[in-house]
Amino acid sequence: MLQKIYDWIDERVDITPLWRDIADHEVPEHVNPAHHFSAFVYCFGGLTFFVVVIQILSGMFLTMYYVPDIENAWRSVYYLQTEVAHGQIVRGMHHWGASVVVVMLLLHTMRVFFQGAYKKPRELNWMVGVLLFFIILGLGFTGYLLPWDNKAYFATEVGLNIAQDVPIIGDELKTLLSGDEEIVGAQTLARFFAIHVFFLPAALFALLGVHFILIRKQGISGPL
Amino acid sequence: MHKGKGMKFVGDSRISAERKPNIPKDYSEYPGRTEAFWPNFLLKEWLAGSVFLVGFLCLTLAHPSPLEGMADPTDSGYIPLPDWYFLFLYELLKYDFASGPYILFGIIIIPGLAFGGLLLAPFLDKGPGRRPHRRPVAVGMMLLALTSVIWLTYQSASHVDWESRAEANKPVPPSEQVNIDTDSEGYAVFENNCMSCHGEDLQGGAAGPSLVGIDRSVDEVKDIAQNGTGSMPPGQFSGSDEELNKLAEFIISVNKEE
Amino acid sequence: MSEDKRPVSRRQFLNYTLTGVGGFMAAGLMVSPLRMAIDPVLQKEAADGDLTNVQLAEGDITNEPQRIDWEIDQVDGWYESKVSKTAWVYKDDNGDIVALSPICKHLGCVVSWEGSEDYPDQFYCPCHDGRYYKDGMNVPGTPPTAGLDIYEHKIKNGMLFLGKAQPREEA
Repeated sequence: MLQKIYDWIDERVDITPLWRDIADHEVPEHVNPAHHFSAFVYCFGGLTFFVVVIQILSGMFLTMYYVPDIENAWRSVYYLQTEVAHGQIVRGMHHWGASVVVVMLLLHTMRVFFQGAYKKPRELNWMVGVLLFFIILGLGFTGYLLPWDNKAYFATEVGLNIAQDVPIIGDELKTLLSGDEEIVGAQTLARFFAIHVFFLPAALFALLGVHFILIRKQGISGPL
Repeated sequence: MHKGKGMKFVGDSRISAERKPNIPKDYSEYPGRTEAFWPNFLLKEWLAGSVFLVGFLCLTLAHPSPLEGMADPTDSGYIPLPDWYFLFLYELLKYDFASGPYILFGIIIIPGLAFGGLLLAPFLDKGPGRRPHRRPVAVGMMLLALTSVIWLTYQSASHVDWESRAEANKPVPPSEQVNIDTDSEGYAVFENNCMSCHGEDLQGGAAGPSLVGIDRSVDEVKDIAQNGTGSMPPGQFSGSDEELNKLAEFIISVNKEE
Repeated sequence: MSEDKRPVSRRQFLNYTLTGVGGFMAAGLMVSPLRMAIDPVLQKEAADGDLTNVQLAEGDITNEPQRIDWEIDQVDGWYESKVSKTAWVYKDDNGDIVALSPICKHLGCVVSWEGSEDYPDQFYCPCHDGRYYKDGMNVPGTPPTAGLDIYEHKIKNGMLFLGKAQPREEA
């Protein structure tokens, strides 16, 4: 039955080549930990993506309870953590995932760096990767404010003050981020929420797509 | 039959009616045994992923994600601390050469050079060799940067008393938020003697713990107010005995209302 | 193609037009959202607020900085609230009243008078060990780059009124 549905679609849309390219390629021996255990270093990129998937899923579900408003943000987080079944776990996944993704990303970056895998022809993919690193850090910074607890508030205040010290555009940069010249408050929270949930993920998806397409195009780097 | 005349399509579409087998790219230029990605290699990858996921879920179960008290911009006793992966930058700004008149050095030049160097690494390290020992400059600089980031993070983290931080900043559940009668005489006494450390809503601060949810008798409260306890020095209370009574009753009454 | 006298070929013309129309659509789509996003940056600074009675009699101001807390009405976008403000108030050697903002000029932490036992007679910031002399000027060699902001103040009916904290003039 399933096979027939697949064939029916495939005859009309020709979907086989779309996934066969991903599915059928051979994985070389030097990146396969089954042959050389030391090849586990090649797992970090995949694990980073895995944690990103965890972040996307847990984040999507968190917004079912979370409200980006200074009166209610903390209350909603507290509520979902204490009253909602498994809320503690979902927020825990998002909270710890944020740390784990940075660790994995760092390990992945180090693997690529020390193997010199960024050399010709993979310069572009390296740069896309570094941009992804910045986006992840940006997600960490904006996400930190959202629970609206003391830690969030004061760390963000420090971050905004650092932005303000940037020459020439510092004041404007700070106002742009916080939505008000002096107050870190209702408008800041709304802005950070928008950046964290829409702007940065959009950039993340676009760059991740480029990252993966380039890997398929260029293949994995050869053994040292 | 590949192009032009004679080619057959599905209906009037551009999709070829004849199936061509996909020719996967092979890695025959690499030595050794290759393995199909789907399903052989992916299965192993997902097995490893499952182990990782179990570990990760254990982490989230063992350590509930922390939530401090609701943001209070007026809490002047609070010492800010960024997330751990920004600690190194926070610590960097403590150094003389990265703060004060050299703040630009700390926030623009050093991070700019580091991240700019990272971004442009392929163009700075152009040699053909990929092995680390064939490009000592690049590897050396990366090791230096890594070491300094780790060291700065460690320096910053070791200065923080994590346990007392967590203790002092416990969230107050909304249901337990007590209505404090700020017009009572006891509150006036509290305001004059205790508020600077224990906060205007008795919620505590950097210098003193919360006075909500304590289990003390009237006499104990009186004794602590005069003689201190733990890190609280004696002599904090200055007032008449009558005021002391009012203060103790006020604090006890706040705790009874729950 | 053979040599073409026409400076712009039909294909080029269509390409330019396509780019133009695309630009028009992008602009039409993005002008208002971008203007909205940067609105806070372009807001004119609000006129100086009124000075507020901070419930401190002039006679109670001593030579020793004391911490004053008071409340103002703050409007943050759609959110109006009362916020408490803090100042360190004292009389300097000339008898003039000085009201200093406790916001550290380094990264915005909160300083306190004699906040560290190691530095008596100085304001101390616990975040990065920033220090200020009693007059609010930053101690050279510590992280802050400027002195603490000074509140506008006036005395009316023997009570102290404080306004906005202003950065001090560059020396």
